[in-house]
Amino acid sequence: VRLARQLLWQRVKIAAGAVVCVESEIRGDVTIGARTVVHPKARIIAEAGPIVIGEGNLIEEQALIINSYPENIMPDSEGVEPKTMTIGINNVFEVGCVSQALKIGDNNVIESKADVGRNVILTSGCIIGAFCQVNTCEVIPENTVIYGSGCMRRVQTERPQPQTLQLDFLMKILPNYHHLKKTVKASQNTKN
Amino acid sequence: MASLLQPNRVVYLVCGEKKIRSPLSQLYFCRYCSELRSLECVSHEVDSHYCPSCLENMPSAEAKLKKNRCANCFDCPCCMHTLSTRATNIPAPLPDDPTKTAMKKAYYLACGFCRWTSRDVGMADKSVEIIYQEGQPDRVLVFFHVTQEKYGLGTRLQRQRSGAPISSLAGLSLKEGEDQKEINIEPAQALDEVEPLPEDCYTRPISLPEVTTLRQRLLQPDFQPAGASQLHPKHKHLLMKRSLRCRKCEHNLSKPEFNPTSIKFKIQLVAVSYIPEVRIMSIPNLRYMKESQVLLTLTNPVETITHVTLVACEEGDSDDINSTAKVIVPTKELVLAGKDAAAEYDELAEPQDFQDDPDVVAFRKSNKIGFFIKVIPQKEEDEDVTVSFKIRHDFRNLAAPIRPSEESAEAVPEAIWLTHHVELSLGPLAN
Repeated sequence: VRLARQLLWQRVKIAAGAVVCVESEIRGDVTIGARTVVHPKARIIAEAGPIVIGEGNLIEEQALIINSYPENIMPDSEGVEPKTMTIGINNVFEVGCVSQALKIGDNNVIESKADVGRNVILTSGCIIGAFCQVNTCEVIPENTVIYGSGCMRRVQTERPQPQTLQLDFLMKILPNYHHLKKTVKASQNTKN
Repeated sequence: MASLLQPNRVVYLVCGEKKIRSPLSQLYFCRYCSELRSLECVSHEVDSHYCPSCLENMPSAEAKLKKNRCANCFDCPCCMHTLSTRATNIPAPLPDDPTKTAMKKAYYLACGFCRWTSRDVGMADKSVEIIYQEGQPDRVLVFFHVTQEKYGLGTRLQRQRSGAPISSLAGLSLKEGEDQKEINIEPAQALDEVEPLPEDCYTRPISLPEVTTLRQRLLQPDFQPAGASQLHPKHKHLLMKRSLRCRKCEHNLSKPEFNPTSIKFKIQLVAVSYIPEVRIMSIPNLRYMKESQVLLTLTNPVETITHVTLVACEEGDSDDINSTAKVIVPTKELVLAGKDAAAEYDELAEPQDFQDDPDVVAFRKSNKIGFFIKVIPQKEEDEDVTVSFKIRHDFRNLAAPIRPSEESAEAVPEAIWLTHHVELSLGPLAN
C-alpha cells in the first residue's frame, strides 16, 4: 500500500512556474500548469480520473476541485473509464467554491461558495456568482453571468479580465510565508 | 429554545382607532396620554432625506427638485445593486502634441453583483470621475402636474391628519413669476388601423438575455425598455428619516437625529422602556384538557419598584377573541425591583428581600422575575394554544409637571394604574 501511495504522489506534476503551497491537499493524478497559484487549504482531488489544470489559474483557500465518481457508480465496478477533468487558463476559483465540472474553459470565475456540478461544461468568460449552485446538465454559453439567489442569468459583453496583477503579487508574496510543493522527478523512487 | 423568544409570541393589545395586536418591541408609549400606541395610530412625518450609499443629507426642497434621487450614486438597472465607479487606463493623445499618446484615466460604472457595466448599454467612458446623467425630460412629472391642476390640488394643503392621503406633490410649485399654464393633453384617439406585426414575429428566435424582466422594466416607468441594451442606470432613490407623533396629544413619540450616520434618537418613547415585558421562558408538553405549568418572565424597565397584578380575562370579554385555553394566573401581586444599572458593580449592596411564594415565583434576578401560570388547553385542533390575560401595573409619570405639595418636601409623582391585554402563543399541543 505504501508503494502504491508513493506512486500516486509521484503522479502530481507541478510545472516550473507554479506556486503550490504545501498546506494544500492534492491527491491523485493532477497536472498543474505554470503561473498557477494554489493557496493553502485548497483541495484538488482526482479520485475517478486525472485532473489537468492549465496556466495562470488562481485557486484560493478551501476551494475544492474534485473529479469524483458519479453518485450511482461504485468505485470498484467494472467498465467505468476514468474521465479526465480539464481546466483551461486564467480561471479563478474563489474561496470555498466546489467545482466538479469536467470541462472548464478559459477566463472563468467561480465565486465564493459556488457549487458547480459534474455535468456542467463552462466555456469561456463565465462567471458563476457567489453561493449559486449550478447542477444542470448543460453547456454554459460564453460570457454568461449567473448571479442571485434564483440563479438569474445574463450575458455580459466582455469577458472578465485575467488576474495578472493578483497572480504576480501572490507569486512574490506566498513563497515568503509558505513552503512550496515541488514536483517529484519520475526517476526517483524514494519517499518524498 | 430561541423560538420562544420570537417577538410574535407575546403580543399586547393597543386600543386606538383600530384594535391592533403587536409585540411590545414594535409599540410606542405616549406618556402624556399614558397609552400604548402602534405604528397605525400615530402620524408619520418626514424628517430628512439621505442617500443610503453616500449618506449625504439633503434638504427637502433640494430633494424634491432632484425627484428624490441622489446626484452621485447610481443603481444597476439589472439587479438594483449600487454601482461603483471603476477606472481604466486608456491611451489618449496629449492635447499639446497629437502624435504622442499618454495614459489617461477613463471611468465607467460597474456592478459588483451581476457584473453589469455602463459599457453594456453603450455609455462612453467619461474622463471625469463623477458621472452625471444628463437630464432626461420627465414625462411622468408633467402628467402629475397636469392632473394636479385639473383637480384643484395646486396649493399646498395644511398638514393633514392621518387617514387622508397626503399629496406629496402638493408642494411642487412653479417658480415665482411664471404663470400656471394649463397644459392640454389630448385624449387618445381610437384607430381602426393598427400597425401589423412584423413578419418574422413567429419565426425569429428569442434571445432571452436580451429581454428585460418586468421588474427591470417597471423601475423605469417613463421608458420601460423591452431590450436589455436600453437599460440605463438610474440615480439612487433617497431614503428618509421619519418622526412619529401621537394623534391625540400632538406630542412627538419618536424623533431621530438629523445626521444620517447617527442611529440615535432625540426623542424615543418606546414601549419597552415603560411597560413591563412578559416573555415565555419554558413550555412543558401541553395536553388537551390537562393542566400544565408554563414559566414566564416579567421584566421591569423603569428604575422604581413596580407592582404588577395579573387578572384572567372574564367571560364575554370583547378583547378575548383568540384564546384557545383557560389560564389560571397568580392571584397575588408581583413585586419587581427597579432596574439598577450599577447593581452588578456594587458588591456591598444587600439583596433585597422580597417574600416570594415559591409556588408562584420561580426565580428572581435584579429587575426580572420568573413566575408560573397554569394553562388548560380547551381545543383539540392543530392550531397553536393561545392564552390571554390582563396585566395591571403602576406607572409613575415622570414627564408630567409635579405639583408642589405643601405637606411633603419630596415631590413624588403619583402612580397611576395601567392595564394592558396580553396574548401569548404557546405553540401546538404535544402528541
